Amino acid sequence: MGTDRYRRHEQIDWFSQDAVRSACVVVIGAGAIGNEVVKNLALLGVGAVDLYDFDQVEEHNLTRSVFLRESDIGAGKATAVVRRASEVDPAVRLRAIEGDFWEHLGVSQLAGYDCAIGAVDNFEARIRLNQMCLLAGTNLVNAAIDSRHAAVESYAHGDAWGGACYECHLPESAYGRMAERYSCGGLRRRARAAQRVPTTAVTASIAGALAASTALRLGASGDERPASRRVLIDTIAGGSTVTVLDRNADCAACQGMLEPPVVVRTRNRWALAPEMRGADHALDQVLRLSDPLVTGYDCAHCGALPEAVRYLDRRAADFDDSIATCPRCAKAAVRIEIRQRFELGELVERFGTRPVPAKFALADIGGRTVCFDFEES
Amino acid sequence: MSNEMSLVVRTADQTRRAELSLDPASTGADIIQAAVDNWALPGDTDYTLVNATTGRAVTPGESLSKAVRPGDVLEVQPVLVAG
Repeated sequence: MGTDRYRRHEQIDWFSQDAVRSACVVVIGAGAIGNEVVKNLALLGVGAVDLYDFDQVEEHNLTRSVFLRESDIGAGKATAVVRRASEVDPAVRLRAIEGDFWEHLGVSQLAGYDCAIGAVDNFEARIRLNQMCLLAGTNLVNAAIDSRHAAVESYAHGDAWGGACYECHLPESAYGRMAERYSCGGLRRRARAAQRVPTTAVTASIAGALAASTALRLGASGDERPASRRVLIDTIAGGSTVTVLDRNADCAACQGMLEPPVVVRTRNRWALAPEMRGADHALDQVLRLSDPLVTGYDCAHCGALPEAVRYLDRRAADFDDSIATCPRCAKAAVRIEIRQRFELGELVERFGTRPVPAKFALADIGGRTVCFDFEES
Repeated sequence: MSNEMSLVVRTADQTRRAELSLDPASTGADIIQAAVDNWALPGDTDYTLVNATTGRAVTPGESLSKAVRPGDVLEVQPVLVAG
């Protein structure tokens, strides 16, 4: 590394190259914004960037993704982006994770980052990342675009607990849009792919630059308590608005979380330890799993179905609503029970030494949210 | 009606703007729905409401009486989701 690389940064009185170099950022999504975020973080000389994406490069990505080329079509997006971004500054440690962050990134692991940047393309993933950042106490920057606007929101769950979260101002219509893609309980609806919003490199580059700057808190004073806020930029008219986001007492995500949650990394095994036997009161503890599970499956006409073994105690999101059609009578008469809340005793009974197919479980213990973050099985 | 509140509602691109007298019990969600309906805003987009005078967002369930003062300017902004 040349000693001259960061000379211009060092001439800026509010820019600390040491602070940037020590920062560790996770970027979720290697699409248009993700490319721009990684580009800016690499150019700034950030210490480490982990990039998550489960998608492959398609030809239409090439108009908005600075690191992708025709030769990358079919390759994993995260790997393709990291390969080229590594050429920008060899001192920046870049890592590609090909997969869904919900499957591969633990809450405890997320707590180790200075900031998470959400550059995904749907509400479900943004809600999930927000939930994880709330639990982990990790700062979240949420960046999104359309063909005209760029929006960058910052939620300082790590630096200033207690502010608004992403869901505090999410309109009901967004939940309605998600509900169109899932039947009640969480089965995916067939032929209901997420709507694709047209975007351009212009809005992506503005969102990516502002997201990177916000994540690193460039220009912010150290003693400032950052409020949750949204910057919306109109790339055609050239205007922008900065909006303070206050906490919503009725928020679906952070309601009741008055203190930072306690995160306990734990094995995903449900056999009671010897010292727990006889502690029956503990078995009544209610746990809310990260993922709804299928807990009942029978046909209103045919009764019990042997096929139930394929679905019971598995994640509802693994299936679509085709399983509501009875394999015996071919009628849409299957009664599917899907639940997310369980008493500890029921989980012990259902799963024993098997892992629960969930990422984490939440419990309200002594008025405080406790997150049992499951180790990978 | 005497207890109505006068304010301005506009879209983020400021192509639509109206001076209105509204019931203070109306919520942020009510204002957004009225804007979508009256201005035929694209139905495939979600919207949020911002009090442009104070620079604070109005939550969907919040009433105007709590979040707005007479004469304030409310802005209907798109909720962006693409990445």
